[in-house]
Amino acid sequence: MSVTNKITVKRAEIAVAVILALCSIALMIKSAENRITWNAEENMGAGFLPFYLSLGMLICTVLTIIKFVLKRSPQSKDDSPFIEAEAFKYIAVTIISLVILVLAIGYLGIYFSLIFFLAFYLRYFSSKSVLFISVFSLITPVLTFLFFEWLLKIPLPQGISEPLFYPVYDFMYS
Amino acid sequence: MDVFILLLEGIFVSFEPLNLGLLVFGCLIGLFVGAMPGLGSVNGVAILIPITFIIPPTAAIIFLAAVYYGAMYGGAISSVMLGIPGASTAVATVFDGRPLAVKGEAMTALTAAAVGSFVGGTVSVILFTLFAPPLAEVALRFNAPETFALMVMAFATFVGLGGDDVPKTIFSILIGLALSTIGLDLITGKPRLIFFNIPGFLHGINFLVLAIGIYGIGEMLWTLEETKGKVQMSKLSVNMKEVGRAFGALKKTIMAMNIGSFLGFFVGILPAAGATPASLMSYGITKQLSKNSKEFGSGVPAGVVAPECANNSASTGSMLPMLTLGIPGSPTTAILLGGMILWGLTPGPLLFTQEPEFVWGLIGSLYIANFFTLVLNIALIPAFLMVLRIPFAILAPVIFVLCVTGGYAPTQSLHDVWLMLLFGFAGYILRKLDYPVAPAVLSIVLGPLAEKALRQSLILSDGSMGIFFDMAEKPIAAIIMYIAIVLLIMPAFGPLYKKFFKKAQTT
Repeated sequence: MSVTNKITVKRAEIAVAVILALCSIALMIKSAENRITWNAEENMGAGFLPFYLSLGMLICTVLTIIKFVLKRSPQSKDDSPFIEAEAFKYIAVTIISLVILVLAIGYLGIYFSLIFFLAFYLRYFSSKSVLFISVFSLITPVLTFLFFEWLLKIPLPQGISEPLFYPVYDFMYS
Repeated sequence: MDVFILLLEGIFVSFEPLNLGLLVFGCLIGLFVGAMPGLGSVNGVAILIPITFIIPPTAAIIFLAAVYYGAMYGGAISSVMLGIPGASTAVATVFDGRPLAVKGEAMTALTAAAVGSFVGGTVSVILFTLFAPPLAEVALRFNAPETFALMVMAFATFVGLGGDDVPKTIFSILIGLALSTIGLDLITGKPRLIFFNIPGFLHGINFLVLAIGIYGIGEMLWTLEETKGKVQMSKLSVNMKEVGRAFGALKKTIMAMNIGSFLGFFVGILPAAGATPASLMSYGITKQLSKNSKEFGSGVPAGVVAPECANNSASTGSMLPMLTLGIPGSPTTAILLGGMILWGLTPGPLLFTQEPEFVWGLIGSLYIANFFTLVLNIALIPAFLMVLRIPFAILAPVIFVLCVTGGYAPTQSLHDVWLMLLFGFAGYILRKLDYPVAPAVLSIVLGPLAEKALRQSLILSDGSMGIFFDMAEKPIAAIIMYIAIVLLIMPAFGPLYKKFFKKAQTT
């Protein structure tokens, strides 16, 4: 039995409900760092709203868990895989490559990271030629640069690649 | 008469070169965004909002409204040609649009969708012009308690009319509100919910981070899973004879147009409803009332016209509460409302007196956009088909690039990009488990406004919640609150009703 078959909708439903319940409790604890009381003299404490909103979230997740235990929700009876094996490949590779992309942006800068991201993604999932992939992976960051840095005047993160852009800026603003 | 003059001025505003250029560009982008499987108006508007920061607010709203509008038209294209709805708003279009395409009558389906969208759009924008000024005038009398009550009603509508699992819907509303409280408390100035002392949380969570995460990253993951990059397109022959025959087939769809246009508008006004339920309801009612209801589902033009009329009409309807009350009628208008705040405007009835150019420019642009979208839609069908042939494996990374840059641009912080990814992944998983995500987006936009209204009301009443239920002092707020309570408890009566109904049927 593959991993994707083991993670059924039923198991995902209860796991997610428990995680959300724990997150709600964490939010309540965090909110309580500020005053969570409310009265006419002192008005509303800074933690009042987030605390009671998180309490409401906790109650909702507990209700979801109760519905699950009583088998009142469609998910509580669903033993099909939460995600099919073929689709899992798409989703997992996409999520991992996006995480690596954002990590790389902080270090390499956005433009070079985008080149690697696009080249990898297209090579992995599409059947396009190396020439197409190379051109596409280079043109997209160039267009992104022109759009944000030249048209919108919004600098995007450049990490260690920043010195490479100085001549371009000199040209743009000279 | 005043309305007519203001409308004319608005139409002139939308004919200014920048506005007209952006309007046509917005219609085009909207059509393409709508046509792409998995992308709809809400995704397009969320991803594109960061690029509107350099243009004046009037041009920005005209552009985004055109994207919204165009996407409503475009959604039908992939519903018909691929059998995959371009967006949830075009789900009902698949029911008869796809069978028509399979029978070799794709052109009839596409023309029916375009003309239906045009009729729905035109009727709704006329209704909008008539209803907006008086509603805004009434809303001008609203103070903090009425505003807060309205917001509670908007949240309650999701619970009462949303049709989703109630605890999951309320959870979605509450998490959106809780996320909106992150940052500095607006009254005491104290930092709230600053996790792990990360300074990025001090400026709060921009609604765009959640919107792009859910509707950009999350939606792409969802579509990748659904399509696995593979699509099967129908054949289409485009020539004048086919177009003529397609128009001829529309004679029998007058009833569908009427139902779709009027029902769509009024359903669109409701915060929880919007274009998707409007189109499904319109399809259902047209089918029920039709003489040949049994043919629905096998490919009849009326089955395409009814939902398409309704989704365009609802999209205009959803702008009515956004402009007049400051309460969005759909997830897309929630993002537009957030955009207004980013552009430095205060959403609500004051816009009509303080920013008439903005309001009437938008209303005027809806008339123009409707016409342009119809023409572009029919003229560019071959181009859309080319775009639909682009493999999803190529389109998806481009959308991801737009999401990452769009998530970074507003605050220029990588912290927000990480949050956007987190929301995208979480939104994808939660959506798979039937947690509705639209209420969370609505809540994060309305959260700060609701909190401000609540706290102002409580200062007015010396801390008494009674201000929201005082029929003598605040009758409007009280009535709205009671409606909200009814909406909140309505789902509890659902099972009772079913039980009673079943019993009545068996006896």
